[in-house]
Amino acid sequence: MKSKNSLFFLFSWLVIHSITAQHSLTLLTQEKQFVAGSVILLEFKADHTKDYQLYCTNSYGSTLITSEIKNNKIIFKIPGHISNKKGILTWKVINTDPPFSGKVQIISKERPTSLETYLGPPSIEAGNTDFTMLVVIPTDDLDNPLKQNTEVVIKHQFLAMEKKEIVFTNNLIAHQNIFSPLKIGRMILSSASLGLNSKEYDVNILPAIGINFNIFSKRNHEYADGNQITTFYTSIIKDKNSNVVSDGTFVDFFITNKKGNILKTSGTTINGIAYAKMIHPEWEENWIIKGYIIGISESNSLEINYKQVIEKFDIIFSSNNRTLTIGPLISFMNQMIPDGLQVKLSIYKEGELLNDVIENSKDGFVVFNLNSNIYENGNYVLKVTTAGITKTFRTIKLW
Amino acid sequence: MVKTNKIILRTTLVLSYLLITSIILFLISSLFSYFNTGADRSEILHTKVERSDLYLPKISWKNDGNEGRFINNQTLQDVENDYLDAWYVKHIANKVNITSGLDDYYTKNARENLFNFIRQNKNENIHIEATTLEHNPNIEFFSEDGQLIALKDDHVVEYKKVFKDDILMLETTEVSSYKAILLLEDNFWRIRHLVKEKTSELKKVVTSSPIKIGIMKGINYYPQATPWNMYGESFNINVIDADFKIIEGAGLNTIRIFVPYEDFGKASVKAGKIDKLKQILDTAEKNNIKVVVTLFDFYGNYDVMDWTLNQKHARTIVSAFKDHEAIIAWDIKNEPNLDFDSRGKTTVIAWLEHLLILVKSIDKKHAVTIGWSNTKSAIILKDQVDFVSFHYYEDIDDFEIEYQLLQQKIPNRTIVLGEFGISSYGGFWKPFNSSKTKQAAYYKKIQKVLTKNAIPFMSWTLYDFDKIPEDVIGRLPWRFIPQKKFGFITKKGVKKPSFEFIAK
Repeated sequence: MKSKNSLFFLFSWLVIHSITAQHSLTLLTQEKQFVAGSVILLEFKADHTKDYQLYCTNSYGSTLITSEIKNNKIIFKIPGHISNKKGILTWKVINTDPPFSGKVQIISKERPTSLETYLGPPSIEAGNTDFTMLVVIPTDDLDNPLKQNTEVVIKHQFLAMEKKEIVFTNNLIAHQNIFSPLKIGRMILSSASLGLNSKEYDVNILPAIGINFNIFSKRNHEYADGNQITTFYTSIIKDKNSNVVSDGTFVDFFITNKKGNILKTSGTTINGIAYAKMIHPEWEENWIIKGYIIGISESNSLEINYKQVIEKFDIIFSSNNRTLTIGPLISFMNQMIPDGLQVKLSIYKEGELLNDVIENSKDGFVVFNLNSNIYENGNYVLKVTTAGITKTFRTIKLW
Repeated sequence: MVKTNKIILRTTLVLSYLLITSIILFLISSLFSYFNTGADRSEILHTKVERSDLYLPKISWKNDGNEGRFINNQTLQDVENDYLDAWYVKHIANKVNITSGLDDYYTKNARENLFNFIRQNKNENIHIEATTLEHNPNIEFFSEDGQLIALKDDHVVEYKKVFKDDILMLETTEVSSYKAILLLEDNFWRIRHLVKEKTSELKKVVTSSPIKIGIMKGINYYPQATPWNMYGESFNINVIDADFKIIEGAGLNTIRIFVPYEDFGKASVKAGKIDKLKQILDTAEKNNIKVVVTLFDFYGNYDVMDWTLNQKHARTIVSAFKDHEAIIAWDIKNEPNLDFDSRGKTTVIAWLEHLLILVKSIDKKHAVTIGWSNTKSAIILKDQVDFVSFHYYEDIDDFEIEYQLLQQKIPNRTIVLGEFGISSYGGFWKPFNSSKTKQAAYYKKIQKVLTKNAIPFMSWTLYDFDKIPEDVIGRLPWRFIPQKKFGFITKKGVKKPSFEFIAK
């Protein structure tokens, strides 16, 4: 029953055309429905043998077919590329009066040979709200979509869970939304229709956005030496279903100091933890730090204090008071402070600021030279500031 | 003597210096401009996207929501453009049997189906001219990743002409429903599957109860100064208003005016032109004059690929005035039978028929007609127009018989004499041909026949004209000069003797 020729007679829909007496053509072919791929012959009985042209049109185009004559029958053989395609095939014999026309329906084969599958989006967020969609177009070997309401089984596996759902084609396609599980991982999907199985498809289940987290700090010592580095880091940031957020999640740390100024540092997460660094202040400080994944979540407030290291320092004037040697600058264990501590010299004359000169310490000392071409002989007020401490010298005479 | 020679020598030297310098300058500048011609450099960037009007069938989306993802207007517009382009390239491919362009609008598997048809048709020397006039697509499904659409296109009106060895074998209009799957590939929405689900031949609309037009006494109208260019720069509604008062005063109740296709903007009808037409119609209404609006003046292509543009033009104009009280009828085209030889009778008739269907579908209130140029053609499409109209410039003595013969052939329709008249020109190019007296005699005679048989009429025309555009009647002086003198009123505004017989 499955050979092409027997399919040809499978359906016995009756076509009765009102053929008037004066008409010389009679349609012999009774079938009105064919399966794609079967040979479609339109046979007519005629009382005279003459070549006819048949117009026929399907979903994709139109053409003309020339008749063949066999045993006093006029036969039109529908070309393969037309009889292979699902849809309505309309035919009309050219130049007959009255016009002689009809329709046959070509249906797709019963069973699919390919499951055209489209899956998207390819990665979704864990947590049961996001979903991906699997669209399946079961097609037969002649690339016809199968008939309406063809059963398609959509299967998916995640960890220990395996699920099967049955959907039916509508508008040539079958589709199913697959919602994300609570955990991250990889979900495997496949489909099947009437015994044919698709290949494997996968969807990445990615963590959702992070929830609030904690931050911590780590430092070598608590002194404000302007040299060491304090590291801030987060707890393992997770989404609401306890999945560690994706690597590279950006965390900003906002630091508010004693004066209310804000410093900022940032880092991205690896395995849920983000690290960010900040150099120690040079004088006593009290920092309040808070971490943010901007627009998404925030951390607790962390407070840390820095202790003053330099309590006092000496200044020696030489070379007509034009050379100031500041130091030694001594750190918490009486060691020389590491190079780079900032020292500022402010020079005033007659109540007016002339210049601020900033130098960095080297080997525990800083030397300022006041050039005689710039600073004429006379009385000056000099202020030296470092590590938050200011020493003022009123009426220093330069000569 | 020596001094004179010296002056001559100096002058010659200076002049030749100037001459040589200017020649060299000219040559250098030509060379410079030669190397600076060619494509505009900005074109390298493809910054402007031009979309010309090629294919504009009526498309009405059914926005009833869809399964899957929400579709926004931007995407819908993209789908519309690509889907219609897919139909357009298919029509072109089937017309010339080449496959270029199909790759962009059909996926690899789907285009194979089209190639099969093209291959066969090419081998057998078949080609198909087709167009679609109407689409009613509906998005059924849009996938979550925005890459796949399932749509249903209902009531697709497809007109086709099938040729074999360049002989027309079949002409048909089919109404079909399609289901399609479109995939977004390379930023094109390409057709992946196309399935025709339903199809039937378009039923011809036969107006069994034609719209009545009453007693029509009319005239074909152009303003004196701007014949065949009524909606141009020198449009002046006051002049038209004054003319309408003359027309109404003469006892006429109808005018016939023309809407030039290109001047109105072809497929994209210009709002300014619509506005001028509205002013004319409003003025006519004010003066108790009914108007027969003749569409598609100066159009003569009829090519199947042009149909969607023609239909859009007609759709815009007819929709704008479908409720206007001044209109009595739409005349689809002036004298289309004159194009039978050059454009093919079948093509022209099919073109008219589809426009009739279109106009009727929009405007159910006003009558529709076609202004045939003779009695022979007047029977064409007689059952689809509300009244038949024809033009008569032949021998006046045969008119009554011709009209009665036509009445026998068309018993169930009013038959309007849409144009008639005679020139009063009798000069160098046609001496003794006519005169103002002869013109008056002509009108007197024909009015008697018109009154006797109660024939609705519209004469040609109110004014003598100064100049006739070449497109109207050609450039032969013995043809266009008499054409200037068909009026009841001279260029200077003096009523000719014929004016007495303008309405009775």
